[in-house]
Amino acid sequence: MGQPTRKTHLHGFHSQRGRMVSFAGFEMPMWYKGIIPEHMAVRNAVGIFDVTHMGRVLINGPEAEAFLDYVTTNNVAALAPLSAHYSTICNELGGIKDDFIVSRLESEKLLLVPNAINRAKDYEWLVKQSRAFDVKIEDVSDNIAMFAVQGPKAEQTLQQICDEDLTKIQRFKGGWAKLAEVDVYVSRTGYTGEDGFELFTWNTPLSNPDNAIKVWNAVLEAGQRVGIEPCGLGARDTLRLEAGMCLYGNDIDENITPLEAELSFVVKFKKEDFIGKEALLKQKTEGLKRKRVGLRMLERGIPRPHHEVWRKGEKIGYVTSGTFSPILKRGIAMAYLSTEYAMENTTVDVRIRDKFVKGEVVTFPFYDTRQYGFRRET
Amino acid sequence: MMRMHDYEIPDDLYYSKEHEWARLEGEYAVVGITDYAQKALHEIVFVETPLVGSELKQMEVMGVVESVKAVSDIFVPISGEVVEVNQALAESPELVNKDPYGAGWIAKILPANLNRDLENLMNAQQYADHLRKLEEK
Repeated sequence: MGQPTRKTHLHGFHSQRGRMVSFAGFEMPMWYKGIIPEHMAVRNAVGIFDVTHMGRVLINGPEAEAFLDYVTTNNVAALAPLSAHYSTICNELGGIKDDFIVSRLESEKLLLVPNAINRAKDYEWLVKQSRAFDVKIEDVSDNIAMFAVQGPKAEQTLQQICDEDLTKIQRFKGGWAKLAEVDVYVSRTGYTGEDGFELFTWNTPLSNPDNAIKVWNAVLEAGQRVGIEPCGLGARDTLRLEAGMCLYGNDIDENITPLEAELSFVVKFKKEDFIGKEALLKQKTEGLKRKRVGLRMLERGIPRPHHEVWRKGEKIGYVTSGTFSPILKRGIAMAYLSTEYAMENTTVDVRIRDKFVKGEVVTFPFYDTRQYGFRRET
Repeated sequence: MMRMHDYEIPDDLYYSKEHEWARLEGEYAVVGITDYAQKALHEIVFVETPLVGSELKQMEVMGVVESVKAVSDIFVPISGEVVEVNQALAESPELVNKDPYGAGWIAKILPANLNRDLENLMNAQQYADHLRKLEEK
């Protein structure tokens, strides 16, 4: 049924060391040692993830900026070369078609990293919307391997094998470097809440995976002294959830707007026009009916997607992502609640199977930012 | 003790197809999940045990075991009344990973229909064959 499962350059490593699962058409590792030790390695030291299953789309041409300012919600004109920002693409009704990082590599060359499940959908949409613009849209996913190296020791680890001074690349900035003698675009971004980098190995087709394997192995070796772990999709999910970051398909989709998802910081109404602007402006004026919040469980139990959220005998929302937090050692969740209840410290009852389990509304991220995450004090 | 690949299968227990075990101790049956089940779930972070006093029929859901990613029902292999549950699992669900046939036990049952229920369960050799077939799939 359907298409055969796709593999990444590191498939040999993953299948030998990891518990494999099928995700968005790719055969990927769920975990190697275990979700919890991998999660803790990223919070306390460093971890490396193969994220090649995500998409990579280049937007080239004199109107690349104008086009992306029209099709995405964030302000691309404000994005300097060698920097990145988080953004969304919306449909005409303001529903989120995808969320991703946009990097400006050169003044007229920008890179989008769509979610794995949206690769084909985004590419078709971008091509369709680009007709009036002088741009070229190129899906280069299959020619680039992509790794995320995340954690407080990420910089120290990569510096050992990198010819550029990484302290000069600030958060959400990027640059070209040789890493283990391979040409790599290094972006100080990620999906864990921690400091870290995403590495793009250019000209690395699946048919010739040597450079990808070289970079992966060199990072693992460089990080050995500080306890690096290869990390699978399991830890990627628990890390992003603790950090309060959305997972497309769970927490956001075409029926949810960036305003409801509390992503209004990437919606720039001052822009002249962008797809979805009218609908979003209308929603902003009329007010929101529901909002995305964090839920921290006060009693034992792990909320999961689709669980109902109640308060005083009334259903007020539903869970979109939930897991056991390795840092908090309790259940945490993202949920959409009626706006009137989407306030910090509101206590709620999550209906977990046939039981009501107490939780409270909290702000993101779930962890103490003095202790964990890129703003940590230690 | 029998083994099938990495999985331990003690000789003196009865097994269900859903990977629960039962051990007869005097007039009671102690039940839990097998080594295969705990390895498949990995990193167990929550166990919901049945209520003491509840009456359960063989292969009714008696609880839930959750790993970071997965939620799995636990079926009771022996009909009867729940007379005790493993309180330690509330604080230390990982006991099911560490010692599935010992400290990771889930409930103690006063059997209602022991001889008939045992006929529906497997011995160690039969369970090993059952696992072999699953692994071949």
